[in-house]
Amino acid sequence: MSSGGLIIIIGLIISATLVFTWLVWQPYRKSRKKAKIAASQIPPVSRSTLLERAQEEVDHIFNDEFREELRNRGRLHFEKVIGENAMFLQQDLRETTTQLNDYMRTEITRTLQEEFKKYQQSISDAKQLALDSIEKTVTTIEQQRHFLETQLQAQAEAQKTRIIERFEQEMASIINHYVLRAIGNQIDLSDQLEYILAELENNKKAIFEDVKAGI
Amino acid sequence: MSKLEFRLPLGVVSQSDIIRLSRELAAVDEFFIAAKARAAGTPVTPPRLTRLLDEISKENQLNLLQANHRQSLAQQLDKLKGSAPTIQISFAAEPPSKFLERILAWLRENIHQHALVQVGLQPSIAAGCVLRTPNKVFDMSLRAHLDKEKAYLVELIKGAVSRGGSQ
Repeated sequence: MSSGGLIIIIGLIISATLVFTWLVWQPYRKSRKKAKIAASQIPPVSRSTLLERAQEEVDHIFNDEFREELRNRGRLHFEKVIGENAMFLQQDLRETTTQLNDYMRTEITRTLQEEFKKYQQSISDAKQLALDSIEKTVTTIEQQRHFLETQLQAQAEAQKTRIIERFEQEMASIINHYVLRAIGNQIDLSDQLEYILAELENNKKAIFEDVKAGI
Repeated sequence: MSKLEFRLPLGVVSQSDIIRLSRELAAVDEFFIAAKARAAGTPVTPPRLTRLLDEISKENQLNLLQANHRQSLAQQLDKLKGSAPTIQISFAAEPPSKFLERILAWLRENIHQHALVQVGLQPSIAAGCVLRTPNKVFDMSLRAHLDKEKAYLVELIKGAVSRGGSQ
């Protein structure tokens, strides 16, 4: 139980005590009023006499039955007040519980929503980070692919050029070999005489000079 | 008879022919020496002259019966052994004699009148010949010819490739 509830209960007990005291004191006030009226009508008596009479009256009024009756009435009233207050307390408790539940629900909902928001934000951030990372990876891979493609193309071109150059360098040998293999046995030297003489004529000066130098 | 006037017939192709002629001339010379020293009535068997010796004596208007002519011829042949330029020519196959004579005639007409030829065989030449002088090699083979025409061959191949690519 909270301190608020304890304070309410103590307040109720104090108020019930005050009500009980008032109820007990009320008949005594009425009898005092009557005594004052009677005293104003009767001739003055001595103080001691008055006290004695009062004592007698008190004993006469507040006899055991009356006191028992008062006690019963007080008890009943107290029980009634206690019952009412218990009802109020129950009602308050119920309302408090309801409010507390609402409050808890609201708070939990709010907290959950905040946590969910944070969670969503975290997920969103993580997702964004993952996307950024993937994007960077994709960009890097694309750059690598482009670089490799360029390198491969360059190497392929270089290889192609090398092959073509080699082919061009060896082309004469290849064709010569092919001719030799294909018609080597059918080539007649006599048919080549004019060609050889023409070649000799073309190289005449160089041959002459070299032969002359060698003599 | 000066060195320049001495003429070699086309039948004399190589140094071995010169050596053979020298040997033959020496045999003739020995015959005549033996003939002088022979006893009367002894049968004489003159050595047979080869076509080559006959040709060379006719070409140079030499009478081999005369000792000074034989001596002159022997001297010329000795000179040729040491001084005649020998050109080595390789062919893909053994050349016919007529073919070789044409080559030799050209060489003696245009290069040196006493040029000799040493024929070699090189099947990889396929066509044409490879001529070697003392310091140089003249490749007149089909391969060299194709090398010279490489640009034209490349053009042909490029044309064929581009036609193939467009199809």
